[in-house]
Amino acid sequence: MFRTRSTRVAALLAAGALALAGCAESTESDDASGGAAASDEGPIKIGAILDITGPGASLGVPERQTLELLHEQLEAAGGINGREVELLIEDNQSTEDGAAKAMSKLVNEEEVDIVLGASRTGPSLAMRPLAESSQTPMISLAANQAIVNGSEWVFKTAQNDRVVIERMIGYMEQQGYTTIGLARDASGFGEGVQEMFDEIGSDAGISVVATEKFAPDATDFTAQMVNLRNAAADVNVIWGIPPAAGLAQKAYRQLGLETPVMQSHGIGNQVFLDTAGAQADGLVAPLGRLVVADQLPDDDPQKEVIEAFIADYTEKFDMSPSTFSGHAYDGWKLAVDALEEVGTDPQAIRDHLEQVEGFVGISGVFTMTPEDHSGLQADALQLVTVENGKWKRLDDQATG
Amino acid sequence: MTDLLQLLFAGLSQGAIYALIAIGFVAIFAVSGVINLAQGEFAALAGLVAISARASGLPLPVAVVVAVATVAVVAVVMERLTIAPVKAMTTLVSLILTLGVSTALKALMLLVYGPNAEGLEAITPGIVTVAGVSIRYQDLWILLVAAVVSAAVYWFYDRTVTGKALRACAEQPVAARLVGISLGRASLISFLIAGIVGALAGVLSSPVYFTSWESGLALGLKGFVAATLGGLVSIRGAVLGGFVLGVLETLTAGYVSTGLRDAVAFLLLIVVLVVRPGGIFGRHAEARV
Amino acid sequence: MTVDSESVHRLSTEAPSRHRGRRGDLVSMLLLLVFLAAFPFVAPGSLVGVGVYAMIYAIAALGLSLLMGLAGQVSLGQAGFFAIGAYTQAVLVTEYAVNALLASVVAVAVTMTAALLVGLPLLRLRGHYLALATLGFGIIVAVLATESDFLGATSGIFGIEKPDVNGRVYDSATEYFLLLTPVVLVALLLARNIVESRIGRALSAVNDSEVAAESLGVDTFRLRVQVFVLSAAYASVAGTAFAHWIAVVNPNAANFPLSVKFLLMAVLGGVGSVYGAVVGAFAVEGLDDGLRRLIPELVPGAVGEVQLIGFGIALTLIMIFLPGGLHQAFQLLVGRIRRGPSDGAAPDPGAPARQVDGGPLLVREGRPEPGTPLLVVEGLTKRFGGVVAVDSLDLTVHAGEIVALIGPNGAGKTTAFNMISGAVIPTSGTVTMSGKRVEGRKPHVIAMAGATRTFQNLQIFTSSTVLGNVKVGRHLRSRAGLLRGALVLPARAEERALERSARDLVELLGLGPDADRLAVDLPFGRQRLVEIARALALEPDLLLLDEPMAGLSGAERSELALLLRRLRAGGMAIVLVEHDVEAVLALADRIAVLDDGVRIALGTPAEVRRDPAVISAYLGVETDDGSELASVEGPSAS
Repeated sequence: MFRTRSTRVAALLAAGALALAGCAESTESDDASGGAAASDEGPIKIGAILDITGPGASLGVPERQTLELLHEQLEAAGGINGREVELLIEDNQSTEDGAAKAMSKLVNEEEVDIVLGASRTGPSLAMRPLAESSQTPMISLAANQAIVNGSEWVFKTAQNDRVVIERMIGYMEQQGYTTIGLARDASGFGEGVQEMFDEIGSDAGISVVATEKFAPDATDFTAQMVNLRNAAADVNVIWGIPPAAGLAQKAYRQLGLETPVMQSHGIGNQVFLDTAGAQADGLVAPLGRLVVADQLPDDDPQKEVIEAFIADYTEKFDMSPSTFSGHAYDGWKLAVDALEEVGTDPQAIRDHLEQVEGFVGISGVFTMTPEDHSGLQADALQLVTVENGKWKRLDDQATG
Repeated sequence: MTDLLQLLFAGLSQGAIYALIAIGFVAIFAVSGVINLAQGEFAALAGLVAISARASGLPLPVAVVVAVATVAVVAVVMERLTIAPVKAMTTLVSLILTLGVSTALKALMLLVYGPNAEGLEAITPGIVTVAGVSIRYQDLWILLVAAVVSAAVYWFYDRTVTGKALRACAEQPVAARLVGISLGRASLISFLIAGIVGALAGVLSSPVYFTSWESGLALGLKGFVAATLGGLVSIRGAVLGGFVLGVLETLTAGYVSTGLRDAVAFLLLIVVLVVRPGGIFGRHAEARV
Repeated sequence: MTVDSESVHRLSTEAPSRHRGRRGDLVSMLLLLVFLAAFPFVAPGSLVGVGVYAMIYAIAALGLSLLMGLAGQVSLGQAGFFAIGAYTQAVLVTEYAVNALLASVVAVAVTMTAALLVGLPLLRLRGHYLALATLGFGIIVAVLATESDFLGATSGIFGIEKPDVNGRVYDSATEYFLLLTPVVLVALLLARNIVESRIGRALSAVNDSEVAAESLGVDTFRLRVQVFVLSAAYASVAGTAFAHWIAVVNPNAANFPLSVKFLLMAVLGGVGSVYGAVVGAFAVEGLDDGLRRLIPELVPGAVGEVQLIGFGIALTLIMIFLPGGLHQAFQLLVGRIRRGPSDGAAPDPGAPARQVDGGPLLVREGRPEPGTPLLVVEGLTKRFGGVVAVDSLDLTVHAGEIVALIGPNGAGKTTAFNMISGAVIPTSGTVTMSGKRVEGRKPHVIAMAGATRTFQNLQIFTSSTVLGNVKVGRHLRSRAGLLRGALVLPARAEERALERSARDLVELLGLGPDADRLAVDLPFGRQRLVEIARALALEPDLLLLDEPMAGLSGAERSELALLLRRLRAGGMAIVLVEHDVEAVLALADRIAVLDDGVRIALGTPAEVRRDPAVISAYLGVETDDGSELASVEGPSAS
């Protein structure tokens, strides 16, 4: 085995190295203090941390494509006020620690001016403390309101889950449902959802009578669906992202459940439709306008922006964008807008974002305040159903 | 009662997939003492190849054949490139070695097929309801193919001269050589078998459970647990182990907690290893290695 | 051969290049120190961040390397302990506002306790069974963390502050690297010391031959548990450092891919080389970072974890071409992959050992008086299936006598011998050694009762020198445990005394000139002497010799016989199984003859050689011509 006679020599060497390290420490600490400040020269750096692999891939991949498309367009247009823009995309593998690791890399090593991401709630929550402590503006693309609650430096573009749930409760009330069976994502996206349904639904006498969980990478949903079947609620809600949400939808119908089913705004992409197949027909979900752009009335304020984006995206990638592309689009545009207006000073960017008003994006029209770092209300969502494998805007847009 | 039956059936369908993967583990381990941690990747690769073949317009049966053949080739090449050259092969070395192959295969799949999970189309779409229990036709296909394949593999090892010689390889290389099978060739054949059954598991499970570049890890680990429950050297044990594991998992998910289903599988693995290293169906601790 | 020793044998091919040069080792260590000290100042900014992760993971990989190198066991669940450490730290720091340093002490203690609880059942498993059980353990930890709301479920615990020591916050990569440098160095030094210690020596012996080490009193299970717990402690230190650096702990910290990463680091660096784990950690993290940048440029559109492809290929290639890892590559480079036998001092192997006087040897205080019953065997029986290998054997051996066990092939001699020495568990019957019932106990228990053995098919510790082999024999005559070994100084006096007594013994058996050669490089006959020297190092009251004469030249045989007589004169009892009837008749005080598992005769050589039952057993026929046994074996020397 590991054999040597020279333990003593090694110990001396170690002591030497320690001493060296000690000296070094004192010299190093001086120039480390000013490290985090962003520079005013060279390219502007926009970082993005996305769920490109892992269970969040169906969100992160189109988001990445969107950012690349927009970055290309921006560069072609001459950058931000003539300054080149560098886009640094990191994959967090749909994990919290991956996100934290990437965040510390972008903030400490790359010294980016602003960070976009992550795609999902959990990784976004993991990035938040670093954004706050390093005072780096961050725009999450995920849903859970906890990401921005009480936050100083973090913003988000996806519609808040609270807003979504308000919309869903409104629809339930209209339909006369009073009991909900909930199958929710077991990760950050689904956390606190049941409580929120109960809270928002309490005035209308609507409550959750059964809650089941599924992991974002789950493949077998028999147990959850059997338990939902037994709960016999008026309506069942599946709260997750594709492919899990699609597989759950499929299992739901295949187990012969006929009860109406609602899904969250986490399903707005083709992957969901492909996964759920024919079993998706008839579900109701509040989604951003993107997926039903062609069905929007012409006076819709977002219609023009959305159609332009769809055209550009489809041309470049030969597929239509998802609502997640929309979240990335909004994040990018908000960031670029701030950088154009106030430059790269983090405090100024933050202040500017807090004052965004009437910003027309893909997911809605944003109006942020120091208290509301999300900026979207229930009108950002459309009630959508699925008909013959296609998104179909409900004519009757019940509002909660 | 309906619920129990429903869960049991789901467990059997899941268990059949585990059983097929487990057969692959046993096929290789019984011959050369190699634990092939890339077994799950065989299944994932088959699923992805079949999906892309289907997407390129090939009929489903052709796509399946293409997928199985591709994986069989991959398995054989893997054996030649990574297993055959190692002189002092021990089970532990094989663990690390095949872990390397599995990692490389995974990344290769990510590179070629991208990160999204997709499903192959079902052989027969739709469901049938029997006594309140909803059954996907695909589940029936899974059970049918698993039964036929297990029986065929069992028959091969138990009744044919080649099969018997393969089994003898680990204990009596000389006897095996007498019927014209060298250890090297036996190892090659065992990988071929493992590749084929793994690929079948992959194309069968894809319509129900979907396939992505990383779905091999979970499948492989579960299949391995199933093989270990069966004692690692017995085809029959592996098949039983697969079904036991599948049923136990769904029952845990249904009656205890969905979050604990994975913990149950591995807890069972540890308990069996410690208490009955010969497998739950083994007569007693007749650990061969 | 038992199942256990076979799995160990398989393992021993797994940990390569045990015999490495001391100078090469030192050079590598020195290079590593220079590297660590210079890294944060010469590496570009982004690489320092990579370096921090390398340092953190290195500690966990080091623990795994110890487990693999010392205990010869592989864990695929190292991340489980890493996560326990990280979670404990995170909870203490965020929930209870405990000081970071105090928290880390608690975290390590908690992890070690967990490792003990997990290790006690799991370490009954060996080799790949253990690897797979630990794999299950890691996944269970991840699942439990996911299911625990207290631990933040899937999202985990965030907002862990960077450690703050005397008002100084270690929040940049460079700072954190400097904070970790002394931790890694101390971890390295402790690991090295342990490897050098009495415990390390014993475990190395276990890897070479478990049954031999146990026969010399090494309690393998206990030591393995200790190393397992130690390895977990290393993982938990890494976990606490990780928690502070990344500021979030979630169930992924326990997951299989991270365990694989630790394994990759240990293997890439070179199992069995302590600093290899650190080098491996830097190599893996560097490769990870490099490939992440490189592959998307080579393959446009490649995203995500494609760098894994490089990992996979690297791991495979290393296992095939460089099983000793970077350590082996380095050794090859330095040109000292193996210490050549041409150390100059090597004597002519055929040269007879020095003749010494014929006085009593190894007289020891407290040895039982000659004539007192030492070993009492009653009704000892072993059945294999339906076959009775040994049937109700009775035998009493007194202090200061030589008893031989003979019989035709298949008579059950070796089985009886193995039952007495603890290598085979008897079906029934009792074995009492120095008044203590020892039947069915492990060999180290019997060694502790004062009996040890040698082996017919040699069980030399192949990775040790002659002196090293003998030192293992002193295991029970020394006390330093893991902790004292790790700290070196408290065990130093004992080490010196041990070295001296081992050297004396080597000289006594005429092995002095070969003392520092690898024992396996010696000719067969002299290896047998090494085994005997090793057994004598234990200062046993009873020496069990399994065919000691086999393979020896005539001169060597008579030397050995002389040695045994001198030992007897010193008060030691000796039991030998022997084929060489001539030698036995000349040497033994009493002879027990076995045939078909039954003791057919017991008595002095003179009685036995005239016993008709014995003669017929050896000749297979009834004889009536008064022939003596020795005459059928050849001319007797007596």
